[in-house]
Amino acid sequence: MNDEPLLKVEGLSVAYASPGGDVAALQDVSFQVAKGEALALVGESGSGKSTIALAVLGLLGAEATIRSGQILYAGKDLTNMPAGELGRIRGNRVSMVFQDPFGTLNPGMTVGRQAAEPLIRHQGLARDAAMERVVAAFAEVGLPRPAELVTSYPHQLSGGMQQRILIAAALICEPDLIILDEPTTALDVTIEAQILDLLMELRQRRNLAMLFITHNLGVVNRICDRVCVLYAGHVVEEGPKNLTLRRPRHPYTQGLLGAIPKIGPERHGRLSPIPGHLPAPGNVPKGCIFNPRCAYALDRCQTEPQSLRSMDGGSVRCWRAEDLPKFRHQAGVIGEPSRSPGTGVPLLDVKEMRKTYPLGRRIKLGGPRLVSIERRDVNAVNGVTLRVRAGEVLGLVGESGSGKSTLGRCIVRLVDTTDGQIHFDGKDVTHARGDALHKFRGDVQIIFQNPASSLNPRRRVGATIGRSLDLLGKISKQDRQARIEELLQSVGLPPYFAERFPHQLSGGERQRVSIARALASNPKFIVCDEPVSALDVSVQATVLNLLSDLRDKLQLAYLFISHDLSAVAHIADRIAVMYGGVIFEQGPTAAVLSRPNHPYTEALLSAVPTVDLTLPEPERIALRDQSLGMKVATTGCRFHTRCPRKIGAICETEAPPLLEPSEGHWIRCHLPLDVLAYPATVTTDGDRKIA
Amino acid sequence: MLTYIARRVVSIGTILVVLSVLIFAITQILPGNVARVIAGQFATPDMVAAIEAKLGLHDPFYVQYGRWAAGILQGDLGNSLIMERPIGPVLSEALYNSALLAVTAFVMVTILGIGLGVLSAIRQNGPLDHGVSMFTFLGISVPEFFWGIVFILVFSRWLGWLPAGGIPDAGAGFATIASHVILPSITLAFALVAHVSRMTRSSMVDALRSQYVRFARAKGLSEQTVIWRHALPNALLPTITVLAIDVGWLIGGVVVTETVFAYPGLGRALIFAIERHDLPMIQASTLVIAAIYCCANLVADLLYAFFNPKIRYG
Amino acid sequence: MVDVISDTRVKRSRRGPLNLWLGLAITGSIVALALLAPVIAPYPFDEMSILTRLKPPSLAHWFGTDDFGRDVFSRTLMGAQYSLLMGFGATLISFAIGVPLGLLSGYSSRTVDEAIMRLMDILMSFPPILLGLLILTVTPPSLSKAMIAVGIVYVPAIVRLARSVTLEIAQEEFIQAAKARDDSTAYILFREILPNAWPPLIVEAGLRVTFAILLGAAFSFLGMGAQPPSSDWGLMISDARPYLETAPWIVLAPGIAMSLTVIGINLFGDGLRQALDPRLNSSKSG
Repeated sequence: MNDEPLLKVEGLSVAYASPGGDVAALQDVSFQVAKGEALALVGESGSGKSTIALAVLGLLGAEATIRSGQILYAGKDLTNMPAGELGRIRGNRVSMVFQDPFGTLNPGMTVGRQAAEPLIRHQGLARDAAMERVVAAFAEVGLPRPAELVTSYPHQLSGGMQQRILIAAALICEPDLIILDEPTTALDVTIEAQILDLLMELRQRRNLAMLFITHNLGVVNRICDRVCVLYAGHVVEEGPKNLTLRRPRHPYTQGLLGAIPKIGPERHGRLSPIPGHLPAPGNVPKGCIFNPRCAYALDRCQTEPQSLRSMDGGSVRCWRAEDLPKFRHQAGVIGEPSRSPGTGVPLLDVKEMRKTYPLGRRIKLGGPRLVSIERRDVNAVNGVTLRVRAGEVLGLVGESGSGKSTLGRCIVRLVDTTDGQIHFDGKDVTHARGDALHKFRGDVQIIFQNPASSLNPRRRVGATIGRSLDLLGKISKQDRQARIEELLQSVGLPPYFAERFPHQLSGGERQRVSIARALASNPKFIVCDEPVSALDVSVQATVLNLLSDLRDKLQLAYLFISHDLSAVAHIADRIAVMYGGVIFEQGPTAAVLSRPNHPYTEALLSAVPTVDLTLPEPERIALRDQSLGMKVATTGCRFHTRCPRKIGAICETEAPPLLEPSEGHWIRCHLPLDVLAYPATVTTDGDRKIA
Repeated sequence: MLTYIARRVVSIGTILVVLSVLIFAITQILPGNVARVIAGQFATPDMVAAIEAKLGLHDPFYVQYGRWAAGILQGDLGNSLIMERPIGPVLSEALYNSALLAVTAFVMVTILGIGLGVLSAIRQNGPLDHGVSMFTFLGISVPEFFWGIVFILVFSRWLGWLPAGGIPDAGAGFATIASHVILPSITLAFALVAHVSRMTRSSMVDALRSQYVRFARAKGLSEQTVIWRHALPNALLPTITVLAIDVGWLIGGVVVTETVFAYPGLGRALIFAIERHDLPMIQASTLVIAAIYCCANLVADLLYAFFNPKIRYG
Repeated sequence: MVDVISDTRVKRSRRGPLNLWLGLAITGSIVALALLAPVIAPYPFDEMSILTRLKPPSLAHWFGTDDFGRDVFSRTLMGAQYSLLMGFGATLISFAIGVPLGLLSGYSSRTVDEAIMRLMDILMSFPPILLGLLILTVTPPSLSKAMIAVGIVYVPAIVRLARSVTLEIAQEEFIQAAKARDDSTAYILFREILPNAWPPLIVEAGLRVTFAILLGAAFSFLGMGAQPPSSDWGLMISDARPYLETAPWIVLAPGIAMSLTVIGINLFGDGLRQALDPRLNSSKSG
């Protein structure tokens, strides 16, 4: 192995100009990537990780200035390289894969042409020769029918396919180093797993070095050799993966690992969030950057700035690193919850709900009737039956397009159903109006995903909560203010927050205000539509803990909707797995997380990247490719176009029956239970199948 | 794409029909009795009544409309009251003259407007950008008719280079025709060049800030390729829409500019007709102008659909 | 996180606040002059004098006199009132009609939305001048009728803008939350959506005022707006055409005055747009 690192970043400091003055985005950042090595840059929002990625290739805009430091690639400094020379490196020796494939691909150009451009530019190939190489590259990244694909436009393709195209374009000139900025964050878990597998395979084959930027420690575990942890623009810890993830030295890294919900057969009581929040850009703490949030901070930490120092094979920015208590991977279980789920009164009863969106009509030429008009409808919810009891949490898991959000909104009557019934508290509320609807709204509330959009930016927090009280709270004028403050306190916010505007609050705080707003009417049931998906990991833990506590204290029932199986597994008593508008598996959490499973659940479980190094790496079950279109089948089992365990014609024509492996646990599949009890990669005789 | 085209064509067709009804209806409210005008100053009430009957002025609205519309579809635009001639030939000559003006102006608008917009965006906040910005600022702030008059003052009265208006006789050479057309076209184009250039600049700046341009740079493509092959085609798409709206402004400008330069085009014909309450003329010329605008919009929609892969390939 | 432009050659613009204050200064002065015109004008705007016809600018008559011997300076001052009235009045009319329609269209059911938009499509199929002319042929023209005509002409554009802004805001989660707590439609429209909708609307209003001034002046120029002996700027320019060569000051004074007014309002509008939200500086507005 060559001694000289391929990429060496030394003392890099970058600042952005902003209306209020200059903001430091990166401070004295140093790290290295050796040939063929994969380094993960881990951080939450505001850590500056994306800035580093852009800085390496000189893609920062005029508002950013590199204050100091060097970026050395193969010994040459990229920060003051002339544009021509830098242009020969970009896309050629060092290339980049961006986060959001849909915004990254030029909507007006075919994908083949976009992938061919680096070849034409750097290797002087003619158009046809370049296209041949592109077809080969597309095949290598696992795209179906590559020769046809090269003439498609981005909007015709799925997110997973677009990301593969970006990867193909990045690798087409056979670079030494590839920078990936959150390449799988915008993708579904099952697709993410496939992309990660692809990246690992490509790395092996080409001895590729990677700079992998992510906030997801599970992904880091799966794919990288070394980890570099960033906090507020500083490197706080760095080291080999096994060391850093198993025995983290810096309090921040420990905090991150403690805040992540894990899937496992035993339930963990509480997550340990990191208290406080990121320092505001103009308000950087003196001394150690992390000290306001650090559980081990001493006086010295507030005055002395820290520097990075070596420690067993890595480096740490904390002078107390050796003294700190060893990090324990199992988060402490704080008692079992006091209520026993499954025995409460049935509260919500949904029967055969359907919601269809008409997409308009389209003229088609050709076919039996020469000119025909085709109706395109989307069956967002396609016959869903479920039940939630008082005090119970039903988790609803699904990927994008599964219909879970639509289901949530239909239940709350924000959207009218096409068919089916909703019973709440014994009454049929499917078409309720007037007073009955008003009562329903008081009993059933909803909290949403995006903290930036869940509160009216022009209203003070207190006024927002107050309005809900006025409409649904049945409270007198005198008690109103007191009740607002009470609600704020119940979600862990100080009463004086009532005077603040949303933009003065952090994401997690805004989400808590949304919860307070939902609680104003003393509901019995709350639909939580991806409540933590848009939050940083350390903040997710706070909100998840809060939701658990409120459930226990107020006997609330939840429908907890999320694409994140770990979060759902942490908080839910029962889980329902949804795909293409249909629920394919439903049952108590422990049952759903273990065999037998529906093939989709199995694939989901194998795809979730875990951080826990004590558990063995599960066999990956890959879903079959989505060819251009056809993600959800229209006849038979809706999942058959992607099912890795499809039997044959029966899956295409007949809807699958309901199987019941244990009490309260249902699976919809044509495969018999004894086959489902074995993983997809194993035959019933126990031999390994060729995958 | 087929669906899109079909829908647009049907839509435009319906709109034209509705427009014709509206135009007909509004002009029916005009004060002044058509029959009286025809009959002349010394007519007796009986004579007026006779003419009214002959023209079918007491028939119900839809009959009168039907008669008029049928005539239009067969190419008969009616007779001008004032000129006592069929309107058709008069309007087609006026249309030809206006077209000369409008097309010249439109070409200027497209080339200069888009060109200046793109160049300003590429060299954002540089001296060219500031200069163009000031120029376009004037363009959208100063009224058209004022420019026109100032041009006449400077180029015609003081410098004597160009004629003040009107149109040369038939058979005149290209240079003579050009000298009559140049000032009105520039006047017409001024405000629009300013508008299109601003829109294009905005659109181009957006494109240059976009993620896909960043991606193109990350591939190591030359700045030239990035600007002309990646940013510009996407930036021009909204410009097509803007140009369509500008055809509407152009038409408005035509009316004013032809009045300033006493240029015998469609706009001036309309103004004359309004001043003299020449009802059939008002109806016919309004309809023709509106139809041209609708067709221009349709063409713009089709072009947009053609160049936007999301619509073209579904 | 600050949004980065990925082109190192882009220089940063520092002109924003300058536009705002300069524009405000110019517009403010003109508005003040307009309001004070009856008081500060040296001569009544319609006082004729055969002896002092077509005199060039002098100490007695700063902008000279016109063909009726009237003082051009006084007339130009008075003209400011008419143009500003036209600009703000027409804009007010178009917003008063357009904003509620747009809000309704963006928030209501598809049928209501379709109906309103079809109506707007029909109005928008007329080139602006044509629609105005059509309206003005029906009744004897005057300045106030021209103002109403201009207002109506601009309604579709305002409806479109208000509708698109409403559609965007209606997607926000706090609107869904309002529905989920049984808030009435009226409350949501006026107390939740509208307060968030006004920045782009204000910017548009500034632009529309200038359009209205120019379009209104065009109507007066064509004889379809203010009528003689009014000293409306468009009318003044039209009246002065026969004397263009001999007495250009009669044309230049009102023309330059109008241009200055519009420049001032445009500068102010630009500055306002940059101050309110730098993100509004995209092609999606203006």
